[in-house]
Amino acid sequence: MIWALIFIVGAINFAARLSFIALFARREMPPLLARALRHVPAAMLTAIVVPAIVFVAPGALSLDAGNVKLIAALVAGVVAWRWRNTLLTIGVGMVALWLLQWLMR
Amino acid sequence: MRTHFSRPAFIEGARDMLPMTVGLIPFGIVCGVGAISAGASPVAALAMSMIVFSGAAQIIAAQLLAAGAPLAVIVLSCFVVSLRFLMYSAAMAPYLKPVDQRWRHLVAFLLTDQAFASSIRRFRESPDLRANVSYFVGGGAVLWLAWQIATIAGILAGAVIPPSWQLEFVVPLCFLAILAPLLHERAAVIVFATAAVAAIALDAMPMRLSMICAGLAGIVAGVVADRIFGRSATAEVEPGN
Repeated sequence: MIWALIFIVGAINFAARLSFIALFARREMPPLLARALRHVPAAMLTAIVVPAIVFVAPGALSLDAGNVKLIAALVAGVVAWRWRNTLLTIGVGMVALWLLQWLMR
Repeated sequence: MRTHFSRPAFIEGARDMLPMTVGLIPFGIVCGVGAISAGASPVAALAMSMIVFSGAAQIIAAQLLAAGAPLAVIVLSCFVVSLRFLMYSAAMAPYLKPVDQRWRHLVAFLLTDQAFASSIRRFRESPDLRANVSYFVGGGAVLWLAWQIATIAGILAGAVIPPSWQLEFVVPLCFLAILAPLLHERAAVIVFATAAVAAIALDAMPMRLSMICAGLAGIVAGVVADRIFGRSATAEVEPGN
C-alpha cells in the first residue's frame, strides 16, 4: 500500500510539474484555464492551512483568543505578509506558540 | 547534456538557495516523522521524499494514511494539491521551448514552490537560457538534497522530539509563509476568504474531501473576482499567458 502510494503520488507530481513544460512547447493554453490555475496556490494553501489552525480537535472549531495556534498563526501571517521571509515566519510562529502555551498554563 | 550547463550559474543557483533550505529543514523533519507515524518503514519514508519531493503532498498522504483513508482518496487529495505545479509548469514553459527533453524533465522534477519563486524572475529578465537553466538546476539540486537530509533527520530524531514542542505546527507555518505574501493582491484575498470559509463550513465532509472542495471554491471565486475587477489587478504574478 505505502509503496504503491509513493509511486502513484510521485508520478502524479512529476506529471503535474512536466505538464505544460512538455505540452506547451507547441500549444497555447486556454485562457480560462490559465486564469483558473493562477488562483490554485492561494486556494489550495488556504484549504490546507486554515483547518490546521482553527480546529483544536477533530470537529472542534475555535475562533477565539483561547486558541493559541490561531493567535500564533495570525502573528506569523502578518510577519510573512510584511517581510516575505520563510525562516522568520517559522521562527516567529513557533516562538509565539510556545510563549502563548506557557502563558496559558 | 552539456549544451544547457553553465557551471558558474549552477553554483550561483545553489548558493542562492542555501538560506531557503534552512526554512525547509523543519518541514522535512515533520514529513519524516509523519511518514514513520503513518506506518511507513524508514526506507519507504526516505523513498517518498526522494520520489515525491513535495512537502504538501507528503504530509497530506501521511495524515490520510494514518487516518485509514482509502488509497483512491489519498491519491485524489495529493492530485488536487499538486495542481499548483500546473501553474508553475505553465509559467516556465515558454522559456523552456528551446531546451532539450532531458533537461526539461530535470527542470520539471525539481520544480517546487521555492525553486519557482527564486528563479522565475531571472527567466523573465535574462535572455541567457543556458545560465538560467543551470541556475535553476543548481538551486533545485540543493533543495532536493536538503529535503533528503531533513527527512533522514526526521526518521532518526522523530521519536526523540517531545510532543510538547508541537513541531507539526511548522507545516501550516511553512504554507503560511508562501500564502500570506500572495495576499497583497485583491483577487487573492477573495480566494483566501472563500477557501477559508468553505474549509470551515465543509469540515464535516468525510475523508477530508473538504480540503479539495474548499480549494475548488477558492479557485472559482478567484476567476469571478478577475471578471469583476478586470485582469489588470492580478496580471502581475503570471508571465506568458
